[in-house]
Amino acid sequence: MKLDLFRDILDQQLVDRSGTKMGRVDGIVLEIRDGEPPVVDHLQLGLVVLAARVGRPALRFVEWIRRHVHVRRNAVQVVRWPLVGEIASHHLKIDIDAQETEAFDWEKWLRTHIVEKLMGGSS
Amino acid sequence: MKKAMTLALGILTSVGGFFDVGNLATSAQAGASFRFQLIWALLLATILVIFLVEMSGRFSAVSRKAFPEAIRDHFGFGFWLVPFLVLIVVHLLVLATEIGGMSFALQLLTGIRTPWWAIPVGVLVWLFLWRAGFSAIENSTSLLGLVTLSFVVAAFVHRPQLHGILAGAIPTLPSHDGAQYWFLAVSIIGAVIAPYLFYFYSSGAVEDEWDASYVGVNRAVSFMGMSFGSVIAIGALVVAAMVFAPRGIAINDYTQAAVMLTDAFPFWGFMLFAVSMGVACLGAALEVALSLAYSVAQTFGWNWGENLDPRDDSRFCLVYTGAILLASLVIALGVDPLKLTLFTMAINAAVLPFVVFPFLLLMNDRKLLGKNANGFVSNAVVVVIVLVAFVLAIVSVPLAIRGGS
Repeated sequence: MKLDLFRDILDQQLVDRSGTKMGRVDGIVLEIRDGEPPVVDHLQLGLVVLAARVGRPALRFVEWIRRHVHVRRNAVQVVRWPLVGEIASHHLKIDIDAQETEAFDWEKWLRTHIVEKLMGGSS
Repeated sequence: MKKAMTLALGILTSVGGFFDVGNLATSAQAGASFRFQLIWALLLATILVIFLVEMSGRFSAVSRKAFPEAIRDHFGFGFWLVPFLVLIVVHLLVLATEIGGMSFALQLLTGIRTPWWAIPVGVLVWLFLWRAGFSAIENSTSLLGLVTLSFVVAAFVHRPQLHGILAGAIPTLPSHDGAQYWFLAVSIIGAVIAPYLFYFYSSGAVEDEWDASYVGVNRAVSFMGMSFGSVIAIGALVVAAMVFAPRGIAINDYTQAAVMLTDAFPFWGFMLFAVSMGVACLGAALEVALSLAYSVAQTFGWNWGENLDPRDDSRFCLVYTGAILLASLVIALGVDPLKLTLFTMAINAAVLPFVVFPFLLLMNDRKLLGKNANGFVSNAVVVVIVLVAFVLAIVSVPLAIRGGS
């Protein structure tokens, strides 16, 4: 099977093993080996990766935010290539639990600190 | 049977959901200042909106994807970034105008000034989104929006001359206030083709789980719903032309527009205007806030869906929460809702190429849509009208700002 990394992988939706949307492929990292063709090592998720693709000012802005807001454990979530289980037209399925990853740090923080408090007040 | 229900409900909700504060403000001002002369702008915009809404429903039914997610999937983040940022800004502006419209409707009913209502109105919009599912939102406010048909009834009560209305369907040069005329033409087009409309419709088709078998239903809903919906905007323009133009009254704020139904319905016209405006703006505010949250969540690949519990898509829910708060603050700070509306509608027209062309490219992707991809006629109609609107906007907006319109 042949894959076009730009067309079939970069920017595609990632879902975890239970189908929860966990973000998009913001970056692809290849491993260059002597005398052998490069292979995909891992995928990256994170606003920092996305900002780096846009340009230096965007990257500086996102890094400035990260220095002041410490919700996410790591700026970049790494998904090892062997964890990619299914490549479909709608998504890439990853053998992982999204709730346990850095990609869900913001979601969980907002749920705990804001949404559940609003739910308590409105139900 | 389910499809017949979808068809009937879809047409009714499209008619009820068509009219919003942008249509009301631009139609009232156009009728008051230029009688029937700007009906052509409404018709031109209606043709475009029929095409765009039909395309967005067809795309989502066949691909099972909404636009923002499909654009990032196919063209990447770099391509999508500028249209995405433009989309966020115009969504926030339109949301502020709808909250301003609802707040003004409440001012008419209570006498308490518009800025004081902005935050309570924001809370009401937010509560709807927080508590209700997608179908409840889509159907209830749009069906209530059928009250705006009162503008059509009022137009008939005034017995306008048919040949005058038909003459207005053909573009003509104005005999006075050229800058205002073209600015209003652009604002009318921007009000009918607010980008949120087709971006919302596309995500809505995914929420309603449409598949390729809905292509026919979608065609009928978009054609009939948008056509009948635009009749309401024409009705408002005709009423304003019959009520204000003979008395030489130009509409400079919403308070003047509020009496437009009292000639036709002396006892309850004022109340009917306030209720029509409030309900139309509520429905539109819900759609705009949702459309913004859909676009952001889909762009970043978060969980999204109005039918999910807010705990399962916290980021999605907090995007619309933040947007409503921001838009309410704009009105609470005392920004003139009518001026903001006219300005926003002109901006809508100016940004059309940025938000329409990415989606036109997708509509021509035969790998994705197969035989349902766009044909020559659809492409040509959309390109020509979008470019006309864009050129008019680029020329008329600076003129109007310089002239103080």
